[in-house]
Amino acid sequence: MTGILMQPNRRRLLAGAVASAATLAAPAIGRAQSAALKVAVVLPRSGYLAPAGQSCHRGALIAPKVLADHGYNVELVHIDSESNADIARTQTERAIDDGAQAVVGAFDSGSSLAMAQVCEQRQVPLSVNIGAAPQLTEQGYKFLVRNFPTGGMLVSNGLSLIKSLLDVTKLDARTAVFMHANDTFGTAQRAAMDHLFPTAGLPFTLLDSISYDPKAQDLSVEVTKVRSLNPDLLLVVTRAADAIKLVRDMVRQRFEPKGIISPGSPGLYDEEFYQALGPLSDYMLYNLPWANPKAQMTQALEAAFTPANPTFRFAVECFNVGFTFEALLVVAAAYKTAGSATGVELMQAVRETKIADHVMIGPPIQFDEKGQNVGIPSAAVQNRHKTPAVTLPVDVATAMPVLPMPGWQGRT
Amino acid sequence: MKDLWSAIPRRGRVILLVAITLLLAAPMVLDRYLISIFVLIFYFAYVGQAWNLMMGFAGQLSLGHALYAGLGGYVAALLWFYFGIGPWLGVFAGVAVAATFGAVIGWLGFRFGIEGVYFALLTIAFAEFTRIAFDNMAFTGGAGGLFLLYDAQRSHEWWNLRGGPLLFYYLGLALAAAAAILTARLARSRIGFQWLAVREDQQAALALGINVFRVKMIAVLISSGMTAIGGVLIAFYYNNLFPAQAFDIGRSIEIILAPVIGGLGTIFGPIVGAFILTPLGEGLIALTVSLGVNVPGAKAVFYGLTLMAIITLRPDGVWPWLKRLLGLTETES
Repeated sequence: MTGILMQPNRRRLLAGAVASAATLAAPAIGRAQSAALKVAVVLPRSGYLAPAGQSCHRGALIAPKVLADHGYNVELVHIDSESNADIARTQTERAIDDGAQAVVGAFDSGSSLAMAQVCEQRQVPLSVNIGAAPQLTEQGYKFLVRNFPTGGMLVSNGLSLIKSLLDVTKLDARTAVFMHANDTFGTAQRAAMDHLFPTAGLPFTLLDSISYDPKAQDLSVEVTKVRSLNPDLLLVVTRAADAIKLVRDMVRQRFEPKGIISPGSPGLYDEEFYQALGPLSDYMLYNLPWANPKAQMTQALEAAFTPANPTFRFAVECFNVGFTFEALLVVAAAYKTAGSATGVELMQAVRETKIADHVMIGPPIQFDEKGQNVGIPSAAVQNRHKTPAVTLPVDVATAMPVLPMPGWQGRT
Repeated sequence: MKDLWSAIPRRGRVILLVAITLLLAAPMVLDRYLISIFVLIFYFAYVGQAWNLMMGFAGQLSLGHALYAGLGGYVAALLWFYFGIGPWLGVFAGVAVAATFGAVIGWLGFRFGIEGVYFALLTIAFAEFTRIAFDNMAFTGGAGGLFLLYDAQRSHEWWNLRGGPLLFYYLGLALAAAAAILTARLARSRIGFQWLAVREDQQAALALGINVFRVKMIAVLISSGMTAIGGVLIAFYYNNLFPAQAFDIGRSIEIILAPVIGGLGTIFGPIVGAFILTPLGEGLIALTVSLGVNVPGAKAVFYGLTLMAIITLRPDGVWPWLKRLLGLTETES
């Protein structure tokens, strides 16, 4: 028997060669897994999207440490897209030339699409942190995933939560008016609202949809119009500056609806909103994907965020910070699974992602065949004591929703 | 062509030939990042040249040229999106629509004597209300944008502008070169001299019997049509269009920077300007990164300071100074 084994033949030689190669390659694989994944983080840190881009950047800055604590190894290259798709595209090319093995970004859909083409041609995974244009994952890109809801998902989830809010608070609301800024985001949300509201099964009638110029000096004319309609609910899609003007004009005109609810927009939870309005900022509701205050990873992220950003509040920034962190988590986890930073293998692992332990509210992060995470729910968040508090879903809520909201008078 | 070529001094011909040869051969050694930079250089050289015809030669200040680029891009993209009509045909429709808008603006401005900054305001107004209209038109994708399907399987379809950066590199180079040749030809033609007369003194031009309205309208029509072609190039390069970006005044300012820095009313000014501005922006990014200056907007500050320095030191633009430096005699307008 021994003699037979010792006889050299082609098959045995091949087996020996494979075994030798595996032995030799083992340290290399070990090295590959211990080396950090180099990720280019492209965000609009200057230009007209700078406030949100910088907020996302704060999330990216603390991510390596938090990820390392969870067994993931990443090295980040921070790139400012200057809110300009030209720069987002050329800098993505440069970053990949300089060795970036994955790309995260870019907050706005135009820049993300410009980067997506580069990533597709270079076969480098792109993990979109924030960008609501449905087309991002409808273009057939094989190297793109998005862990963020589409505009339609945002409004659909937002409307569904309004129904839940009315059920929980037993508020009798029969009429509503929809007000929205006439900028790109507001107009897109209006289109989604027009499409989805008729089939949303909400128990109130939409009396009117009113658009306004967010750059207007005040919104007194629009508020007068809403006041004349006297709706029970005011549904709003705003930015921070116009949200402040809107509330001020409502207070001036003593218009007090039973609730002010955003079906999915920023504005009502920005720091300047709290600073400008003080107690008047309380009880506004907004239905958005939000950080799960009870998740271990959220708490770890907050613990890293607070000392690193003493002048910013995690509770206010957790939307941008959380999604940017999760976009990094997706590629970091895939790298750990794949054990390789090669584009095709890494992307395969990204597509097979299933991350149960993460930051934002919702089921495990996973992507459909188009690269979209379709399971991202929204939470109903309400301002309480100038701080966002999750009120729905019940299992992650830290406060009960208050509707009808108290009147403007007497707030201190 | 022959007369244009012979008008260039010997040294200039040598420099031009070397530059063209280098640019043709450059993709063999350039990486993708640098190729993408060159695509932008050629684009801004081209649209800058189109704007230069109107302002630099005919003296009509437009601050809304993004309108024409946006219209050209949108029209060609819509024809491709809905009917599968390729950009080589779509570009004609884009040019027609943009030129129509140019004609309306020109007619309003020149017919009713709206001049100078008031004409500039008119161009801004048209760009703005077109943006608002596109924001609210469902068939153009509205504010959410229009997206052309990117399919790597069709990347060989250069005739449909479905290729990679290399295709756009050579296309951009061809457009920039063609625009320079067209400008040179127009500058030496009857209309070119009439433009200069109008630019220098409109009343004197009228007294000489020049049909000022017609001359200015021709400038607007050519300029808007040319800009629309650039818009088609960039629309198919990026494969997406948003009204807020396509018609933005910031985009219009980007278009005019290259000729302003390079030299207004010169043929090579927009090209030189584009070759300064885009690499300057990218170079400053690299510099701030290498210096560890990770402050957002730092590059923009350096960029602004550099532009101020250039404008202060070379108020007529870089090209006239460079031309003297290279010992090239005056061959242009």
